Amino acid sequence: MNGAAKDCGLRPGEMVFSIALIVFSVTAFWQSYAISGLRGLSEPGVFPMLASATMLLSSLVIMRDLTSKQRSSQEGQSSFLRDIVPFRLLVVVGFILVYVVAMPLIGFVFSSAAFLFASFWLLWQKGPLMSAVLTAGSLAVVYLVFRKVFQVVLPGGSLIQGII
Amino acid sequence: MEVLANLSISWLDPWLMFLTAAGTLAGIYVGAIPGLSVTMATSILISFTFKWQVNEALALIAGVFIGGVYGGARTAILLNIPGAPSAIATAFDGYPLAQRGEAGEAIGLTTVMSVFGGFVGILALALFAPVISSFAIQFNSRDYLLLGLIGILLVGSLSGESFAKGAFAGALGVLIGMVGLDPMTAEGRFTYGSITLMGGIPYIAAMIGFFGVAEALVQMHNLDLPTIKQKIDRIIPRLADVKRYFRLAMRASGIGTIIGALPGTGGDIAALLAYDDAKRMTRNPEVPFGEGAKEGLVAPEAANNAAVGGAFIPMLTLGIPGDAVTAVIIGALFIHGLKPGPMMLIETPHLFWFTVGNLLLANIFLLIFGLTGIRLFTKIIECPKAILIPLIIVLSAVGTYAIQNNPSHVYWMLGFGVFGYFLKTYGFQVGPIILGVILGPMMDSNYRRAMIGARGDVGTFLWDFVSHPISLVLSVAFLLMLLSQTPLWPPLMARLRRAGN
Repeated sequence: MNGAAKDCGLRPGEMVFSIALIVFSVTAFWQSYAISGLRGLSEPGVFPMLASATMLLSSLVIMRDLTSKQRSSQEGQSSFLRDIVPFRLLVVVGFILVYVVAMPLIGFVFSSAAFLFASFWLLWQKGPLMSAVLTAGSLAVVYLVFRKVFQVVLPGGSLIQGII
Repeated sequence: MEVLANLSISWLDPWLMFLTAAGTLAGIYVGAIPGLSVTMATSILISFTFKWQVNEALALIAGVFIGGVYGGARTAILLNIPGAPSAIATAFDGYPLAQRGEAGEAIGLTTVMSVFGGFVGILALALFAPVISSFAIQFNSRDYLLLGLIGILLVGSLSGESFAKGAFAGALGVLIGMVGLDPMTAEGRFTYGSITLMGGIPYIAAMIGFFGVAEALVQMHNLDLPTIKQKIDRIIPRLADVKRYFRLAMRASGIGTIIGALPGTGGDIAALLAYDDAKRMTRNPEVPFGEGAKEGLVAPEAANNAAVGGAFIPMLTLGIPGDAVTAVIIGALFIHGLKPGPMMLIETPHLFWFTVGNLLLANIFLLIFGLTGIRLFTKIIECPKAILIPLIIVLSAVGTYAIQNNPSHVYWMLGFGVFGYFLKTYGFQVGPIILGVILGPMMDSNYRRAMIGARGDVGTFLWDFVSHPISLVLSVAFLLMLLSQTPLWPPLMARLRRAGN
């Protein structure tokens, strides 16, 4: 399940991430307080305050654990860009972002075809022809199973309405 | 008679039977592919069922759950990579058996024992759920608050790298669940004037993001790992083996059912405990444990499938999910207009018995699919991750969009996916987040009802936790669990042990 999580000292970027969690928890607590303040103990803001306080407390404990880990850690070879967000991952996340933005505009079929083709080509590395064949095959199966068998309504695409 | 009629609905309806079979098959194959967890399979597949009839959706869900828990064992045996956390213990002896050229037999024995364990769990569900349900009617708001807290606490503490990370994830889930209009006062919480946010964050988008997209991104690190191939020969297990391990399977199934029924513990813990129990109880195994002992295969597999029936007990009787998969399923039930809890057996008993019948049917399909198609299966698990990952993303996007045909849900999914990737990378479990999302609103409303019942007086509120028998038992259980996660616990246990001697 937890493929990338390895117990190997401090992971690159872990300290920054834990600081971000503390900042997020403080903001969440402040926003929770803004819901109903301290008007009473059964007000709608109480439980969010309890949850964000738990987040804040646990993120501080995580930070304390990391600080002691940092002192004992001998690791200095790993890098955030190489180990945590390698270029290939960043590109795929970019593809997904373009895909989810494009889906309501150009529809499920075209956006998925473009996404699958680009991702297969990048990750599978068997050339454009093989990627195109695989895209066509897998998209046909997904479309038939979900649109025809499961009757799922797939995005039609606002820009191409009436064209197909 | 009515019970029997409801029990047999999916046995007599060809379409429901087909959906159960399809769910089981999909569960086995998706659950078996390392990195594609049963939670991911369930959250993606059930997102397509929201517009279906309830019976159709329940049929598919039962199949996916049963198949998914079993599926993880196959890759544990063949590749030494558990396809699901519930198959971790299976790999200890399953892989050494495969290395000795007995992979087929190991898979066959695993299948039969999983089915056996599954039947025990379902029998327990049928027998005990009505009893627990009638007892649970007496539960008060504070009892549900405590049950919710225990659920999140157990999942957070048992499955993660550290208790603090589990607690953070659970609390984050609760906070996500709070977004939207407060159901008691209609006051906005974290809505910032947005109409979209007033409806709350769609929890299916959160589930698919955290389990589908995040997991797919994590698997990007394993793109270049070479695939391992195994020889498959005899698949049907020997009758002598089935007879010999019958008692052990029975015992492991009992452990699995009880562990599965506890809120927050699922098939993974059940399997590890049953493995440990088998190791201690088997005096002279033919082969030592860890080197290919069949006992080490039978116990965890019987236990993890028995835990499925067990996990349905708190889910259907108390509305408390047993683990991450049941949290996803409970979310699906809410969307279908069902209210899992003590009143479910009173208001909609037909759905309960339909679910029991369906689980039985899925278990039979498990036997059929488990003993066939293994050679084809070995080809499928060799499918490169470079092909699987883009397909998972497409299915996740379609599944999220299909809930309400709303593109903003897909953006949420992507956001949760990327955030989930970082959480997983830094050793956080995302299971407690989903439990928090599901249990948060329930705990919030029960906390406030209990507080209103105490007229806002903290003293009375706290006194109620110790002055009512059920609340007292749950409070003690909660405090013990909380204490066991602190650094105070080991010295306390050591002192108690010394005092005992």
